[in-house]
Amino acid sequence: MPEAGRQRERQDGGSDASRQVDHAGIARLADELLPALIAKLSTTDLGELEVREGEWHVRLRRPYGVGPGEGRRASDKPSRSQPGHEGHGHGRAGVEGHRPARSPGSGSGSGSTGVASGVTAGSGAASAATNGSSGGPRSGSARDTDGTDRSRAIATSPAVGTFNPGSRAVSGTRVRAGDSLGTVDMLGVPQDIPAPADGIVGQTLVEAGMAVEYGQELIRLELTAPAAPAASAEAR
Amino acid sequence: MFRRILIANRGEIALRILRACRTLGVEAVVAYSEADRDSLPAQLADEAICIGPADARRSYLSAPAIISAALVTGCDAIHPGYGFLSEDETFAEVVRAHDLTFIGPPPDVLDRFASKEGTRRLLGGFGLPTIPGSTMISDDDHALREADKIGYPVLIKPSAGGGGKGMRMVRTSRELESAIKICRSEAKSAFGDDSLYLEKWLDDNRHVEVQVAVDRFGAGVHFGERDCSVQRRHQKILEEGPTPALSAEARAALADKAIKAVVAAGYENVGTLEFLIDGAGNAYFIEINCRIQVEHPVTELLTGIDLVTLQIKIAAGEPLGLRQSDVVTRGHAIEFRINAEDPAHDFRPGAGVIERYHAPGGPGVRMDSHLYPGYEVPPYYDSLLGKLIVWGPDRPTAIARGRAALEELLVEGVTTNIEIHRALLENETFLEGRMTTNLLDRVGGAAFLAAAAAR
Repeated sequence: MPEAGRQRERQDGGSDASRQVDHAGIARLADELLPALIAKLSTTDLGELEVREGEWHVRLRRPYGVGPGEGRRASDKPSRSQPGHEGHGHGRAGVEGHRPARSPGSGSGSGSTGVASGVTAGSGAASAATNGSSGGPRSGSARDTDGTDRSRAIATSPAVGTFNPGSRAVSGTRVRAGDSLGTVDMLGVPQDIPAPADGIVGQTLVEAGMAVEYGQELIRLELTAPAAPAASAEAR
Repeated sequence: MFRRILIANRGEIALRILRACRTLGVEAVVAYSEADRDSLPAQLADEAICIGPADARRSYLSAPAIISAALVTGCDAIHPGYGFLSEDETFAEVVRAHDLTFIGPPPDVLDRFASKEGTRRLLGGFGLPTIPGSTMISDDDHALREADKIGYPVLIKPSAGGGGKGMRMVRTSRELESAIKICRSEAKSAFGDDSLYLEKWLDDNRHVEVQVAVDRFGAGVHFGERDCSVQRRHQKILEEGPTPALSAEARAALADKAIKAVVAAGYENVGTLEFLIDGAGNAYFIEINCRIQVEHPVTELLTGIDLVTLQIKIAAGEPLGLRQSDVVTRGHAIEFRINAEDPAHDFRPGAGVIERYHAPGGPGVRMDSHLYPGYEVPPYYDSLLGKLIVWGPDRPTAIARGRAALEELLVEGVTTNIEIHRALLENETFLEGRMTTNLLDRVGGAAFLAAAAAR
């Protein structure tokens, strides 16, 4: 869900601090909330589920005509639409805002459809700004303490699934902490692989499309720490 | 039969399922959390895959992580073991939605037996004696009338949830009136539902359970019963079979009623029906466990039948291949649960590195454990380190073998409850076969140990 992060960057000038807050929030949602929601949705014949937690809204929508077993392939690209007070309304009857609506496909697709891939995560602009300013200083300093004493970092898999390197996962690409390096597809839901630090992308250790386990090392990074020369020499 | 099974559990039961897979010639993949990377099942499996961090909610309780792991490793079935997601009908449903087989009852069967109150009424309708109880309590007057009908003492129980919340035992109408308010507010805050019902409370009860297996075609057999009366705060510590509480005729009659009721109610796969036995030997059905249980080896030693491979075969759609007359129980078996907990300090659970480990052997001795020297017992999960199971042609021989095996068993590095088992085998009440479920709690672990030491 890097879009949400970038979106906000534009809004409030892209301070590292707010980005980190964002990524932490997204990572937590992806890790804890999404799997539970997906499990829930796949056992119902609801077309859509939406949950609010703090400033976040997560909406799961079952794509049209996905039958049992198809969902896990998730070849269709997830729609990451913008903050969700109103949603798109496609695939929903004219029901009031946040009420789950029956999917038009649920009659034929049965109640045991696989997993929806339409995921929307976003934050309201107003609350995001508030959070950014209050959470700022703390996260900034936390990063300083652990960012300076290593010359290399490795991005690991956030989930068990299949590995899809992103456009930044190319050797020599300069990335910032939290930038998405790709995704791991868990039951059709992409789990973001954030860069663990600012740096330059090195070797990718796993081929695209391969199965990966939780915590598996995926992409090497050469760190570009601010106080670089002294610190990296020491580390060796 | 399946080609490849994902084992979505840990510890001794993961190892037990792995052994069953080997026996069947089925490949086994172990799904493990980061805390179990060095565990024995993860090391011995054909393939092991990390599904999440130590926190069980993100690993052993995460349906998406487990199902994803099964798919990427090419498994066609998932064995949930016990605990975690083993009786979660939602999980079973999602597993099926991904064209995988859940090794256990099908989702609709799990769903039918999900509510304790509902299951009691269902099986009561098929001839099982159930514990006397009320319908949902509407008001205090209704509660008082129902309690009079049942007879004190009664247990006030919430219809939702579990874990002892909103549950109170009362001995008089006055106690009932004051306790019912507390129960309502506890149940309301814990489960968001304050509906209560009453159940007859048996003071000195024994816990006896009947093991059954039913295939997809409605053929079912029972494997006799186990006595699990040695408990501490509703946790079983020691199990044995046959129960010393009932005559051979009463045991046969109970098992027969149990299997007839579950077959009639459409149960499928292995399961256990739990009963309370009162002082007069009357049995009351309380609940059904829709999974393989910790204490299943007691039955395996008594019957010579491998229940885990049977469970897998039933899930694969194979016929039971057993008639009731094929199931013959012989002798007496006792299981000791070896836990990382300190009986002298209120059974406080522990963790740490196993420095030395030796499993006992000899005739009629079986040890199911994932321990090895150097293994680090993680603090995140339940404290079960393994199970020592002994068999003898009769109860005194089983007890003698149990004493010898417990003497030989060596676990160093973490505090264990081995002492409580040694004490139990010297305790007169146990030796006479008169244990009740409240005995250990009433006496207290430390006092129990001291009494045994003083003999």
